[in-house]
Amino acid sequence: MRLDARIIMVALLVAVLALPGWALAFQNEGTLRIGGMWALSGGAAFFGKSSLGLATLAMDEINEAGGVKVDGKAVKLTMAAQDDACNAEQGLAAVRRLASVDKVLFSLGPTCSSVAEPVFGTLQKKLGDTSDTGLQLLFFTDTATKFGLAKLSPWVFRNTPDEPGMYDFIVGYLKEKHPELKTVMVSYESDFAHSSATWKGALEPALKKHGHHQVTEVVDWRWQDTEMGAQVTKLRKASADVYFSLTHTISTCASMKEMKRQRVRPKMIVGITSLAGTEVLINCPDVAEGIISPSNFAPITPRAKQIADKAWDKYKADSNIHSVPAYENVHLVKSLIEKAAIKNTEESLLDDRRKVRDQLAAVGSFQGVLGKITMRPESDAVKPRDVDKDMLLVQIKSSKWTVFWAPPSLQQK
Amino acid sequence: MLDAMEQLINGLLYGALYALIGGGFSILFGVMRRFNMAYGSTIMAAAYVSLIPFTRFQAPAVVMVLAGVAMAVLVGLLVEFCCFRFIQKGHELAPLMTTIGALIVITEAIIHATDAVGLRYPSPFGEESLEVGRFLIRPDYLAVAVVGLVCFLVIFWIIHRTRLGLAMRAVAERPEAAQILGVNLRTVNTLTFVLTSALAGVIGFFAAVTVGSARPDLGVFATGKGLVVMVLGGLGSLPGAIAGGLLLGIVEFQATWFLGATFRDIVAFLILFAILVFRPSGLLGSRPH
Amino acid sequence: MDYVIAVASIIGIHALLGLSVYVVAICGQMSFGQQGFFALGAYTAGMCTALWGLGFVPALLLGTLVAALFGFVVGFPALRVRGLYLAIATFGFGEIVRLAFLNVRYTRQIGDRVVGPNGAEGFRHVRWVFDGGVTGLQYLGIILLVLAVVAGFFAWLDRSKLGAKFRAVEEDETAAAMVGINVTQVKVLGFTLGGAVAGLSGSLFIHYSTYIDHDMVALPLAIASVTYPILGGLGSFAGPLLGTVLLVSITEGLRALAELREFIYGALIIVMMIFRPRGLIDEALAQRVAGWFRLRRRTEPA
Repeated sequence: MRLDARIIMVALLVAVLALPGWALAFQNEGTLRIGGMWALSGGAAFFGKSSLGLATLAMDEINEAGGVKVDGKAVKLTMAAQDDACNAEQGLAAVRRLASVDKVLFSLGPTCSSVAEPVFGTLQKKLGDTSDTGLQLLFFTDTATKFGLAKLSPWVFRNTPDEPGMYDFIVGYLKEKHPELKTVMVSYESDFAHSSATWKGALEPALKKHGHHQVTEVVDWRWQDTEMGAQVTKLRKASADVYFSLTHTISTCASMKEMKRQRVRPKMIVGITSLAGTEVLINCPDVAEGIISPSNFAPITPRAKQIADKAWDKYKADSNIHSVPAYENVHLVKSLIEKAAIKNTEESLLDDRRKVRDQLAAVGSFQGVLGKITMRPESDAVKPRDVDKDMLLVQIKSSKWTVFWAPPSLQQK
Repeated sequence: MLDAMEQLINGLLYGALYALIGGGFSILFGVMRRFNMAYGSTIMAAAYVSLIPFTRFQAPAVVMVLAGVAMAVLVGLLVEFCCFRFIQKGHELAPLMTTIGALIVITEAIIHATDAVGLRYPSPFGEESLEVGRFLIRPDYLAVAVVGLVCFLVIFWIIHRTRLGLAMRAVAERPEAAQILGVNLRTVNTLTFVLTSALAGVIGFFAAVTVGSARPDLGVFATGKGLVVMVLGGLGSLPGAIAGGLLLGIVEFQATWFLGATFRDIVAFLILFAILVFRPSGLLGSRPH
Repeated sequence: MDYVIAVASIIGIHALLGLSVYVVAICGQMSFGQQGFFALGAYTAGMCTALWGLGFVPALLLGTLVAALFGFVVGFPALRVRGLYLAIATFGFGEIVRLAFLNVRYTRQIGDRVVGPNGAEGFRHVRWVFDGGVTGLQYLGIILLVLAVVAGFFAWLDRSKLGAKFRAVEEDETAAAMVGINVTQVKVLGFTLGGAVAGLSGSLFIHYSTYIDHDMVALPLAIASVTYPILGGLGSFAGPLLGTVLLVSITEGLRALAELREFIYGALIIVMMIFRPRGLIDEALAQRVAGWFRLRRRTEPA
């Protein structure tokens, strides 16, 4: 065979042989493996890497303090992180890798809702149902926010923002504190499910419910659009008091620049939850000045600040509304492991996962970085296995996120 | 009505950017009969690198453009070397795939270096739209149109008034005959790459200025628009690229204004199909391919 | 093992997609739009099992049929364009299908779930495999069975007169027409078959993933679908199969290298196209291998 053909054959062989990850032995020398699947490459890498960093920080803190108590012994945690590149096919393979090759106790992530949908869809729908061949891996999600994901399987728990609740609060807040602002205009991304769902499932119902505001214009664009002149012109003509820009960083920056060009200046601008992070500060802090976003995290308590600083210094990970839950989740699961009396052996893995899952289902409230977080029970009709937690409103001021409003429990002394 | 006019004007001006991108694709196709699917990522690489003199040294726009051009030429030569030089004639699909491979590699390099976060890009043309009568005209679009015109004039001068241009036209028309008459094919190909890459450097600057950021999806954006413009105008036709680009700009802006973002893409494709069905050689293309 | 089964399942499904590009390519047409037929098959088959309670086999058949129908329809205007124009036009078709599904909303309340294509939010709850107690291994068996049948068909095609007609049209349309081959028939048939196989691929996919949305059938899938046969080789049906195995293995097998995977993917494409521009299994190799299986003849073929 010619040289190039041989090289290709070898490459093929290597790739195929590397597949099952033969090298991994189970729980070598007293470790407990936790896992995560995130977008570590590709367009959402910023968010995936932040989550991985925060999760690793939590794991390192636990290990430094001695590890987890399993069967009376102190066991260290290790992390198996898989990259799904925000791609469904990779996610579907990665979940099985985590479950049966890495043999993790539970998994964090995924980052993208478009990966979470198929992955969670392939999990078991009914616990212990032998006729249901769905996967049995516990997920405790930090980022994927799409409404209804936790309903897909009793193996899915999420520590993610409650957008309907957040926008309901914002509309109510505006009605109460700024009743003079009556007109509203909205922009959203028609090809990004998170954005259109935030409009249709969170903001629109909230506006209807409070009945105070009048929606004078709704425009939409594609999340990767580069040109919003026509839409912003429509907004300029509507000239409403409040502008809800339910758009992600890329199109927010592009549209805010256009707003500046056309001198459109609403009295108040409210953004989408995912905005409350560093991406927008890198991309367009000047035109985004003044945007208010609902968030679950800001470094406003000493502990929060310490975590944010450590995460950045040690792991170059940004602490934001999506990544901090990964930190919280790892710490919570550590305490649940100790309550669940798991065995941490290869044979008991499925049992162990089930035990931790049941603990998580019954956990009620737990302490997050900023305040109390409550896990809704499985019987909840609206959002089972999703959390309720404190929210705050943050605002971009001088290229930094500052606190615009915080609940009394979090207000700085 | 006036709003539609305003969209028309801005669309026409923005179309200049599309025309330039299509022009870059067309020149290369005209001379080499091959596509450079990595052209869009060359434009993007130029945009990112041109940001460096600004963020480090507060350099003026001219220096930024030069940096972009330098990077683009470098990338272009690399692409030429890796993706085109060693492919024999007669293998049409291979350069398509190698340049797609290059597009993947370059895009991934940029994503890796920046974690896929868009970077703020300055606009030396002001941050507010110009008030011209009842219309708000974007100053950066105006700049693109002016610079685009200059670029096209320079390119036309090169192609029709220099020896290189003569060689390029000869190779475009009859490669074998040109070779027999002493034209060094390899030199012409390389210089064509240098020319189109320099153009890509300029395009990169203006693309980033008009978008407002250096973003990792600029490559796919430029590739998509470039291909559509080339087909609209006629493969390998420079006047066609101009006509196609301006037409696309106008159509997109009008469609967004009247129909919204959802239908804008559908309208663009329908026009594309219409051209392919009724005038397959494009608006100004001559040979049917 | 689960993991290997999962990767093999993706390979099987994507191999069908690669074969769909292949069958259109061997009659001289480069289609960058097979992901559109994939989407059509997926949504149709998903609606069959999840919305209308039909069985799995009827779902596959209907998904294949609908996609084949669209392939047939697309085949006619495709006659008018060639080369890059066709590639762009077919990509445009794929985009139109994608944009259409972005806007289609057809849902129904079934039990406690809202089922059906729901615009940007996608189409979830296609649970025939998991609710029905089909294991990963069993579903892989189904995928491989379908793949074997399709590959068998293409193996036959490669050897048949019809296959020869296809390749004749790819080689030189005018000459083919002159010897009496109905070029229109061949090309439209190519697109129809391509649509059918891509639709079949999509129908299998949605049951494997339980979910589909417009984002999953965009440019990246288009590039992948074309890369499999071009890298694997257009000389024989085995080319796309090999190409799929190679490329999916790179993505999955090199997980340890995380971000470098994309680089390797792109660089590999470049390197392989330089050394073997007609793909791994090009016409020459295909002929040689076919020769081993042919009965010995006393006279050597020309």
